[in-house]
Amino acid sequence: MRNMRGSQHSLANTQKLTIIAQDPSVKIGGKILVAEVEVPAEELLPGPRGYRVNVIDFDTATSTLYQPAVLKPDANGLYPFELKKDVHGVVRKRPQNYDKRLLSDPTFHAQNVYAIAMRTLSHFEFALGRRVPWGSDGHQIHIAPHAFVDANAFYSRDDRAIFFGYFMGPSNKPIYTCLSHDIVAHETTHAILDGIRSRYLEPSSPDQAAFHEGFADVVALLSMFSLPDLVSQLLDLDSSGNHLISNAHLTREALRKSILLGLAEEMGLGLSKGRESALRRSVELKPGKPYMSMPEFSEAHDRGELLVAAVMNAFLDIWIARLDKIGFISRGKKNRSLVVEEGARVASHLLTMAIRAIDYCPPTDMTFGDYLSALLTIDREVVPDDTKYGYRGALLKNFKNFDIVPDADAGIDGTWKRFDKKLVYSRTHFDSMLRDKEEVFRFIWENREAFEIDERGYIEVQSVWPSIRIGPDGFTLRETVAEYVQIMTLQARELKALLKIEPPRDLPATMRIRIYGGGVLIFDEYGQIKYKIANRIEDRKRQTARLKYLWESGALDSEQKAGMRFAQLHRARMSRSE
Amino acid sequence: MPKSAPKSVNIRTYQVGFGDCFLLSFNYAGGKKKHVLIDFGTKALPKGSPKGLMLRIANDIKAVVGNDLVAVVATHRHQDHISGFKRRKGKGPGDIIRSLKPKVVIQPWTEQPDLARKATGPTSKRFGKGTKKRIAALKRFGKGAEQRVAALSDIHAIAAQVVEAAQRGRFPKSMRERLSFIGEDNVKNLDAVKNLMDMGQKAPVYVFSGSSSGLNRLLPGVKVHVLGPPTVEQSDKIKSYAKKSDQYWGFQARAMRVVGPVGRAHAKAKGDVLFPRHVASRGPNFPVETRWFIYHSRAAQAEQLLSIVTMLDKVMNNTSVILVFEIGKKKLLFPGDAQLENWLFALDGTNVKYKKLLKSIDLYKVGHHGSWNATPKKLWNLFTKKSTGSGPARLKTLMSTLEGVFHEEHEVPRGKLVTELKSQSDLFSTQQLPKGKISEDTPVQV
Repeated sequence: MRNMRGSQHSLANTQKLTIIAQDPSVKIGGKILVAEVEVPAEELLPGPRGYRVNVIDFDTATSTLYQPAVLKPDANGLYPFELKKDVHGVVRKRPQNYDKRLLSDPTFHAQNVYAIAMRTLSHFEFALGRRVPWGSDGHQIHIAPHAFVDANAFYSRDDRAIFFGYFMGPSNKPIYTCLSHDIVAHETTHAILDGIRSRYLEPSSPDQAAFHEGFADVVALLSMFSLPDLVSQLLDLDSSGNHLISNAHLTREALRKSILLGLAEEMGLGLSKGRESALRRSVELKPGKPYMSMPEFSEAHDRGELLVAAVMNAFLDIWIARLDKIGFISRGKKNRSLVVEEGARVASHLLTMAIRAIDYCPPTDMTFGDYLSALLTIDREVVPDDTKYGYRGALLKNFKNFDIVPDADAGIDGTWKRFDKKLVYSRTHFDSMLRDKEEVFRFIWENREAFEIDERGYIEVQSVWPSIRIGPDGFTLRETVAEYVQIMTLQARELKALLKIEPPRDLPATMRIRIYGGGVLIFDEYGQIKYKIANRIEDRKRQTARLKYLWESGALDSEQKAGMRFAQLHRARMSRSE
Repeated sequence: MPKSAPKSVNIRTYQVGFGDCFLLSFNYAGGKKKHVLIDFGTKALPKGSPKGLMLRIANDIKAVVGNDLVAVVATHRHQDHISGFKRRKGKGPGDIIRSLKPKVVIQPWTEQPDLARKATGPTSKRFGKGTKKRIAALKRFGKGAEQRVAALSDIHAIAAQVVEAAQRGRFPKSMRERLSFIGEDNVKNLDAVKNLMDMGQKAPVYVFSGSSSGLNRLLPGVKVHVLGPPTVEQSDKIKSYAKKSDQYWGFQARAMRVVGPVGRAHAKAKGDVLFPRHVASRGPNFPVETRWFIYHSRAAQAEQLLSIVTMLDKVMNNTSVILVFEIGKKKLLFPGDAQLENWLFALDGTNVKYKKLLKSIDLYKVGHHGSWNATPKKLWNLFTKKSTGSGPARLKTLMSTLEGVFHEEHEVPRGKLVTELKSQSDLFSTQQLPKGKISEDTPVQV
């Protein structure tokens, strides 16, 4: 059978597009650092408008619609802004005004947001082994690279969009948030995480509010470390093409300073204090303080930094452990590309784990402890033997350093316990359970007692996702992830009598309160339940703490729309004092 | 109580729609009177108000005070509190008030003109260089004063940008009105400010929490306490104080200044946009496949602008002067538009004196036209004279407001608060005034 291009061979799965590796202020030898990244190949309409992303370059500030970008290779097979390489794959010379055009040509801006958004999405799809929906309705999310004049960028569920603002920088030149890899990946992650766990936008614990921010930063940072040129340049700021790197640059402290702090400093240039300080602060946090109970870490962004600190420090530990296994080429010097490659590998593995762990987190009221248990469990599932590189050990240690410990319901090693109760399978059909919400609901309903589900609340199966992972033996590992939520709405005065939940003292007695519970069921390849990771709705302790937090933070009193939450949150980040 | 103390006080609440204007008349023995005018401004008058209402009010004030206006208090620089001080070639309401020659004008410390940083002037780290007056001002108001004033000036600039954006952006009418309303309230109001600066016979007094009001000598037998606004140093001491960086406003003001050529959409020339060579359309008709999104982008943009003006409106409200007039056993509280953050300092656990004062308040001017967070629960719970009963000892509340013109997070006045005020106090709201009546008197026996 022939395909649309008239060939009997299968079409390429990926295509390479040029992006700015971090933001336009990060330069090597005076030139903006660009990178070629692989994104899923597709036949794009002008925009670009593809199967998941629809870039519409409309600027509300000037009421201007810009021409849609056409991303097609030219007669020489070069995509727009692709640099010509010699036979060794090395770029010898940039065309004249290349850097200037990166800034002044909206076609490139559209390409940059498209490529980074698609790349981020493909990280998720690769890790989860399934298609991942956006949090907003529809299949194609809108992206506006120059949406308005404001130092802000955000994902809005209601508008099915990610908006990127532009603003006047300190040197009186416009700064485009759509050209920052970190910002684009961060916002795209919000949209994807919202697609996987839509209840995480509901007001809940300080951890849940912070998780969206911390997780989006972790994904943005780890995906940046898989760009070898960027890492190589940050290591010792050497852009001469030297193939060796001195071991002095590879100590823990040197790497912390060069890679993490270096990146934070670069990010600060021209952009906003808010983003720079987020990373810098998370790197500079000293381990070993009772962070989780400190009031200064109760606000969403500050708390999110704890997650970033834990993951990025674990990243350093594992990278260094792997570097120790690389020999010296000459006295005190190692092969630069090996060093960079090891870093990229660690980043990539951690990124995959970080994403997969979402499947193993409860669908409502999640905590950092839940996330850590999920991370450890998912890693054990795929790599049962942790002795080689010690990922789980490094995660446990570094999370503990920032006062995050596995959930109390987890086992001794911090992983979730297997589900071992007897269940009724005979009234449901295995095949339908892989994709049918109705079937899974019936299964849950039949087994509500074994699953310890309170019968008073409303129960809904929110999603059923079959997913495929590659196991350690090279075989595919099939899992089905089903999410159910429970919702109860009642008056404040009923909380104690019905559920023994202590409402805050001055909460008006007739105030309508909504509480959540729910869980994730992980089915193995035989359709048997492997894990049930749940927060019970009648959990008195959790609900009491949640209400206390919401009441004290004013969340119960405001009528904020969930869909626009990031607009406010990100503004708060920008306006935060040092 | 000293013999010279006033025998009674009358508070005249004027109908200024969405705004504030209160005339306090202290009646002394022998028929002698002394008057204090607190705010005179409006942002929206009630429908069907006669033309020249503000002038009529100014003339009424003139008729009442004669030569005995001892002070004008401008609680903060919002149009709905100071627009009446605007002059108009000798014939504006501000000219009339000026002609009454108040002895002194009282304003928040943030209005001290020597604190304003000149664009070309030297920047000072602590007290830096500058004129003697400037150094004196910086010393008096402490660390961070200069930055706060600079931030407020940036806020005016941002407000002006938002007003412009609201006018040129194609937003739904109601949204455009909301943006313009809050935006315009926050623009500089320079005419009024200049008039206030040199209207008094004495040098203006700029107050902060705990400072002298400058009124004690002018009003015999009356103690006037200044509870707010806190200085930057004072508010920094309160841990829970929502700390919004003053630097942010400078950053935001600059960020929004993507002008010439960018940012001026009403100019139709092609060169006025970001990428003139790549324009597909400037409307009004956009390609079909983009319309849904363009509509949503505009709505999101409007929400953004609204959140910016709401934030800055709050900052400006929190510069409000909070005064308690203590006459014998009676205490009258006038907090301007102070919102939670301003109150936090006065209500902090360490301020035992203020708490004691607030507990025994007899009359409360409802903060910020009855908005949801200008009467913090912490404050309301302190008032011991509120009750469901009646009688002369019951708390009196005065509210100057107009429904349906202003929304922040919630409607103003807030329904819940109004219900509480009605059930727990003798509430007078300017909305009760019949058409044609421009004021209401509330006498307080001392």
